Amino acid sequence: MKLFDYVLSGNCYKIRLLLDFLELSHEKQAVDFFPGREHKSDAFLQINPLGQIPVLEDDGAYIRDAQAILVYLASRYDPTGTWWPVNDPSELGRVAQWLAFADSITSTASAARLHDVLGYDLDVAQARAGAHKLFRILDDHLANQELQGFNWIAGSNPTVADVACFPYVALAGDGGIELFYYPAIQRWIRRFVNLPRFKLMPGINIFN
Amino acid sequence: MIADNDIALWRGEDGQIRAWENRCPHRGMRLSYGIVRGNTLTCLYHGWSYDGAGACAGIPAHPDLTPPKTIRAKAYRAADSGGFIWVANPGETTAAPSIDGDWVPNRSVHIDQAPASLNELADGMGAGLMSKITDHAAIVRVPGVEGEILLAFLDMKEHGAMIHTSVPASASEDAAIAVSKLSTRLRQVFKASSAA
Repeated sequence: MKLFDYVLSGNCYKIRLLLDFLELSHEKQAVDFFPGREHKSDAFLQINPLGQIPVLEDDGAYIRDAQAILVYLASRYDPTGTWWPVNDPSELGRVAQWLAFADSITSTASAARLHDVLGYDLDVAQARAGAHKLFRILDDHLANQELQGFNWIAGSNPTVADVACFPYVALAGDGGIELFYYPAIQRWIRRFVNLPRFKLMPGINIFN
Repeated sequence: MIADNDIALWRGEDGQIRAWENRCPHRGMRLSYGIVRGNTLTCLYHGWSYDGAGACAGIPAHPDLTPPKTIRAKAYRAADSGGFIWVANPGETTAAPSIDGDWVPNRSVHIDQAPASLNELADGMGAGLMSKITDHAAIVRVPGVEGEILLAFLDMKEHGAMIHTSVPASASEDAAIAVSKLSTRLRQVFKASSAA
């Protein structure tokens, strides 16, 4: 199994996290995302015509899209069946719903970070405002989960929804998005970094 | 953050809450990254440690040195009451409120626009004031919600406000969730005038 990876990418970090949580042996191939734009090179476009990372190669097939890779890894390699809870349709529905939410976090909080950290030309005020809107929804949800005795986005176990949402929430400060306003999100981040086999990435300076 | 001051909150083994300026007197590192052992806080950067009262208790690079008494973390008065942690503004001399009963923290919500007063906040929540605790905290009741609610707000001026609620330890899960949802709804009541 091989991950086409860039160390500063939150979307690649999602995959690294789940590979570690599931203790899957794998190799990583570094993609020179910045400044090399290797993900837009002809060679890489053969692997992913969308020109995006991460891509996972497993059993001779390429899987693209961070959320899709999470679903693939959890359904194929999680013997406990908790990370992608296929035996519980209502929980599975919630997980899928929050996977889509994670994509919206990418298009707002991650965009603001690309602007601030890598100098991307985009409307950063709009990206930040969009992220704050989403973070309020996530904060409200996590607070109400806690009041019902649930520590995680979809219920009592961490799932790929938590893995998908975590990186760009935890990295939000890099894009000028203050997490001070979201106490329930901060408590969830603290629980997340205390998961067994959790590893930090550069830019996430929270200690477990 | 209290009035633009970054605060490090921590508890030692003795259970006592401490609120210090989030700045190591040595090199200005945030003490919130520090490590608590027993009743001392050790700065992550160069390992200077501070006892529960804020006095420097050890400097690793000078193991034989008794640290001078002048090296102290700046401490704010802090107390636990009603499920909240109360931190006094610098220079404020009033005692921490003592709130009867057993309360559990319920919700902390950010709103864009700080309410002008406790009354305005209670009105916005549809709550009636039962007893005022400070200018920023009161026990309230909301028609249709079982039990009392402890309601407080931190005015952050142009940054809006944080609203905090606690409910009695005996409150049901339904009541706790109802109060949390009331807090969430305050975001619509106190939204920035410029917000779309």
